Amino acid sequence: MVHFIVRRILQTIPVLFGVIVITFILMYLVPGDPVVSMVGERYDEETIHKLRKELHLDDSLPMQFVHYVSNVLRGDFGKSFVTGGPVSEELLIKLPNTLILAVASMIIAIITGLTMGIVSSLRPQSILDKITMLFALAGISVPVFWVGLMLVLFIGVFLQWLPPTGFGGIEYIILPAITLGLRSAAYLARLTRATMLDVLNQDYIRTARMKMLPEWKVILKHGFPNILIPIITVIGTDFGSYLSGAVLTESIFGWPGIGRYALEAILKRDFPVIQGTVLFMALMFILANLIVDIFYGIVDPRIRIEGKNG
Amino acid sequence: MKKHVWFKKQTLVFISIIIVSCGQVKDETVLTIAISSDIRGFDPAMAVDIRTGGVISLVYDHLVRFGSGTELLSSIAKDWSISEDGRTYTFSMNPSARFHDETYILAQDVIFSIKRVLDPTNHSPQTWLFDKIVGAKEFMEGKTKEIKGLEARNDYTLRIEIIKPFAPFIQYLAMPSAAIVNSSKSDKIRNVPAGSGPWKLDYWEKDGELVFSRNDDYWGEPPIMSGLKIRILSETLTQSAEFEVGNLDIFNIPALELLQWTQKKEWRDNIFSIDELNIWYIAMNCSRKPFDDVRVRKAMNISLDREKILRLLLANTGIQASGPVPPLLLRNSPPNPYPYDPALAIELLKSAGHGNGFQTKLWAAGGSEIFHVLEAFQSYWGAIGIEVEIMRSDWNVFKTAVRAGRPDLYYLDWFADYPDGENFLFPLFHSSESMTKRNRYKNSEVDKLIETIQLLPIGNQRDSLIEKTNRVIFNEAPWVFLWHSQTNMVTQSTITGYVPKTIFNSERYTNIVRK
Repeated sequence: MVHFIVRRILQTIPVLFGVIVITFILMYLVPGDPVVSMVGERYDEETIHKLRKELHLDDSLPMQFVHYVSNVLRGDFGKSFVTGGPVSEELLIKLPNTLILAVASMIIAIITGLTMGIVSSLRPQSILDKITMLFALAGISVPVFWVGLMLVLFIGVFLQWLPPTGFGGIEYIILPAITLGLRSAAYLARLTRATMLDVLNQDYIRTARMKMLPEWKVILKHGFPNILIPIITVIGTDFGSYLSGAVLTESIFGWPGIGRYALEAILKRDFPVIQGTVLFMALMFILANLIVDIFYGIVDPRIRIEGKNG
Repeated sequence: MKKHVWFKKQTLVFISIIIVSCGQVKDETVLTIAISSDIRGFDPAMAVDIRTGGVISLVYDHLVRFGSGTELLSSIAKDWSISEDGRTYTFSMNPSARFHDETYILAQDVIFSIKRVLDPTNHSPQTWLFDKIVGAKEFMEGKTKEIKGLEARNDYTLRIEIIKPFAPFIQYLAMPSAAIVNSSKSDKIRNVPAGSGPWKLDYWEKDGELVFSRNDDYWGEPPIMSGLKIRILSETLTQSAEFEVGNLDIFNIPALELLQWTQKKEWRDNIFSIDELNIWYIAMNCSRKPFDDVRVRKAMNISLDREKILRLLLANTGIQASGPVPPLLLRNSPPNPYPYDPALAIELLKSAGHGNGFQTKLWAAGGSEIFHVLEAFQSYWGAIGIEVEIMRSDWNVFKTAVRAGRPDLYYLDWFADYPDGENFLFPLFHSSESMTKRNRYKNSEVDKLIETIQLLPIGNQRDSLIEKTNRVIFNEAPWVFLWHSQTNMVTQSTITGYVPKTIFNSERYTNIVRK
């Protein structure tokens, strides 16, 4: 297992390097000038010139790249062009907020998605199944921002059950978590239903039923573990994307996470923040996938053995 | 069975916790407002945007400050005098004024604050505020360590000498970047204010909220409310939702929603409107064809029905512009706006050799709320044969393109830094500014007029020259002059004492109280 994890970690190094190179090149290909966002309306050309020099924006591209990579290797993502704060510090401040939202969204997605999927698979083609699948289809189809705005309006403003936006206590997390988790919940419901239906037709399930085991035991003990691989894959990749920030959800609900931080940076051409957040997002995604791979190994020992042999 | 009962009990407890925690206890002594994006920090030397400038004014003081309108009030300087030649300002400072750390504000602190802005190692983009002070240039070039034109005659008397007379200089001192910084507390100034203002920062959750508490030891009149919370909500819809449920006390109504708000019984009596010092315009690149011809520029102006656009698309939240300077800053009435006369516009185009019309591009940045207005322009211009393509971009790309002089046409606004007509002339139409960062307009008569205005003291002659320059620019039509907009604010019915302000950084929320 240790060998497997070490090998997977080593595989992430070229991926991260690729992310650094691509982000860096893209930064310099996009139109716009970061200094223009920093100087207001009454700047003079000398100020622009001095700032460009100070920020190394007039250095050659390879020089800037070497400068950046050497700093990143020391854990220094640079300082925001706009606020002057160290990017790594600001990312760490925002990480807990993003983490809270990601975990809450995932909990909602797992509980509702799996429950709906299992319930549907037990009564295929029933009214309940059709309603559940209609809900799942809607969950996949409707855009995140629309769901967010509708929740703000109906739950927050008309019914006033929960605060429309903001952050703080448990009451603030519910609406953004539903908004963010809805798509995963819907996808998980469809996936769980499909895989569960497939598993329930297998011979070992028939055997379990013939042994007169109670139905819940058949489903949860013999059926459920066998659908876990695709479920974990979806959960892992979705969780990875949640950890890299949810731009729309965070903007609608005023949630101070990494997604909003990245969006503001893109609009202001705050290069160090963009590079830092993209690298951080890639890292989170890789980490989530690594954890999924490890889980595969736990859930299905064949993968671990194959990995070892391979 | 027992397990079942235990589970039910736990569920009930859990639901109760959620319900209790959801019943928010609103602190009635805290005023809550919202802004659309976070501030850059608390360093006055870096305050280049309205949001940062507004927040700086809550936690810092200035030598002088703006009142509710365009008037200038005493602040840390209890009085001041200006020499006859208009070059030397002598300030007598309030000896009881103290910073948040209880130390007294001295003339040396003001000098320190001005030097911070000019210090080349700080890379402040706001050096233009103080580069008129004698010796500032030498200091900025690193030739001297002191600025000759700044002198602390004693702890509470400050003398500032500027190179040439410049009447708005006193107004510069009320701007956010002229805030007085506590020299002993400036090391963490980006995150922690080093000021003396009526509010003290409690904490700043970046992209989340800024929370302030009343400065009970404020040297002036402290705020009535005990706290101020500024939430950062990027979406107008969410701000509006928060206001409707009572989580915000004051809300800036978007022009498109004004009608809807005036129809709501619970809020229509709490809507405040104020004419702001601003101008919305479409700049035309005057250095190249076809907009180097004044006839084409005039045709662009008279082919728009501004009155109709304002009425139908912007809920009458503005007045038609006739020149760049807002009427509030003119002693007499401005000229009449360009009339809507498409037939004359076609004639003008014909006489300029564009009888078959032409194609051009209009650059615009920002949110979608304005694009229906741009489409109306497009339609009006299309009717006289000018085919306009709208180029949407983000703010940075837009500003970079304008600076490089790329757009033929661009849609933009200008908000006053200080309430003086000069602020709508020099930065926008003097060739030294326009030819390098704006729409490449050059007129030696206008340059000379602006330069004369800058040297004149406040008075009739200066006012007449501002009016004359406004008229000359209006007749030259380097812009399509659109409108001076109005801001509409709504407060909760429990809020009293709110007075909307003309200049953005004069709002300090000190007189507001909840009934």
